[in-house]
Amino acid sequence: MDIQLLNNVKSKFVTREVGNELIIVPLSANVAHMNELFTLNETAKFIWENLDKSNSIEGLISLVTDTFDINEETATKDVETFLGKLEHMLVK
Amino acid sequence: MKNFAHNKYIEIAEFSIHLFSEVAFELEEGYGPFEKTEDNFVADFKIECILNLPDEIPFEISEPIFEAENDAQKFYSIYRLESGLGIVIYNQQDINQIQQIAILDESFTSWKIYSAKYQDIHLPLKYPMGPILMHYITLKTNAVMMHASCAYDGTKARIFTGFSGAGKSTMSMIWSEAGNQIINDDRLIVRKMEDGFYVYNTPMYYQDIPKKAPLNSIYLISHSPENTINKLSGALAVSKVMAFSIQNNFDRQFINSRIDLFTDINNHVAIYELGFVPDKQVIQFVIANES
Repeated sequence: MDIQLLNNVKSKFVTREVGNELIIVPLSANVAHMNELFTLNETAKFIWENLDKSNSIEGLISLVTDTFDINEETATKDVETFLGKLEHMLVK
Repeated sequence: MKNFAHNKYIEIAEFSIHLFSEVAFELEEGYGPFEKTEDNFVADFKIECILNLPDEIPFEISEPIFEAENDAQKFYSIYRLESGLGIVIYNQQDINQIQQIAILDESFTSWKIYSAKYQDIHLPLKYPMGPILMHYITLKTNAVMMHASCAYDGTKARIFTGFSGAGKSTMSMIWSEAGNQIINDDRLIVRKMEDGFYVYNTPMYYQDIPKKAPLNSIYLISHSPENTINKLSGALAVSKVMAFSIQNNFDRQFINSRIDLFTDINNHVAIYELGFVPDKQVIQFVIANES
C-alpha cells in the first residue's frame, strides 16, 4: 500500500472527535460505503494524524512505538490493520 | 398564472407536507392514513407536482455528485444546482427511462417534482421518490431515517437495527407476540422533539396508521448461539448506529450534522450490541440487562 497515496486522500474523509476518539466517514459519491464508517481508538487516531509525518510504513510503526508503550509487533499489526481498512474504503 | 386546484396534505413524523398540482394526482396506498385536512395545516414542506417530464432535464447532468446504484439496479442520481439539488429517478422496469425529476431549493423545503405518467396515473411520490423525500426532509432538521424495526411496550420504544438478515423482522415478531406495538419493522424516522427523542413510522407500500413512541434504547442486533449484550459508549456507539441510518454521504455538512445528531442521541438513549437467539427469552434478557 502506498502511504503517500493514503495521506493524499485524507481530504476524502470527514473526521470528528467524540470524546478521546475519532470518527472517520468517507465522503462518497455512491452507496457502496453506507455502512463503512469507523471509530479510531487512541493508537489509530495517532496513526491517522501522523500519516503525513512519515514516508514509510516502517517510519510510522517507529513513531507509534516511540509514543505508546507497545512493542514493535503490536505496532506493526495496528498500523497494517488501520491502513488496510483505509485502503479498503478507498478502493471499493 | 398557475391554478393549483388539486391539493393533498400529509404529516410524516410531525413534518407537514403540502403537495399541490394543476392536475389531479394520487398517492400510493400507504400514504392514506397520513393524509390530513387543509384545516389549520401549516406546511413545513411545499411540493409542486407537475405531470409529465419536461422536454429537457432542467439542469446540467454531466457530473452527478451522488449515484444510488448497485450491480443490478440504478435507482437515482443527484446533481448539485446553483442553489439546491436536482434528483433524477430512473424507472426500475427500464433504467433508460426517467420516472421522475425533482428540484429542491437550498433549504430542501420547496420542491418541484416532475413525474412521467404511471399506468395513466399522476403519482408524484411513486417509490422511490417517497423515501427520498422523507430522507431529505430529515437532513436539515433534527431527525434521521433508519433501516430498523421498533417495538413499543407502552413506556419504552426499543429500536433494533443491523445488517440485512440480522433479525430485525424476527425481533419485531417476538416482541409483537409479547404484546408490544410494532412501530414498523423496516423503516423509521427518529426525531428530536422538545422533550426528547421519538420514533415514528413512515408511509410504506401497505397501509398502517401513523405511530409515535418515546425512544428508550437502540440495539445493534445479530444472530448468536446465546444471548449476549454489550453497552456501547462514545464514538463507537455514535459510529455504529450512524452506519445503519440512511445516508447520502456526498456532503461534509450532511455528515457533520448527522454525527451531531447521533452524538445527541447517544447522550440521551442507551445503545447496545445484542447477540440473540430468536425466541421469546430474549425479551427477559434485554429487560434484565437494561441499565
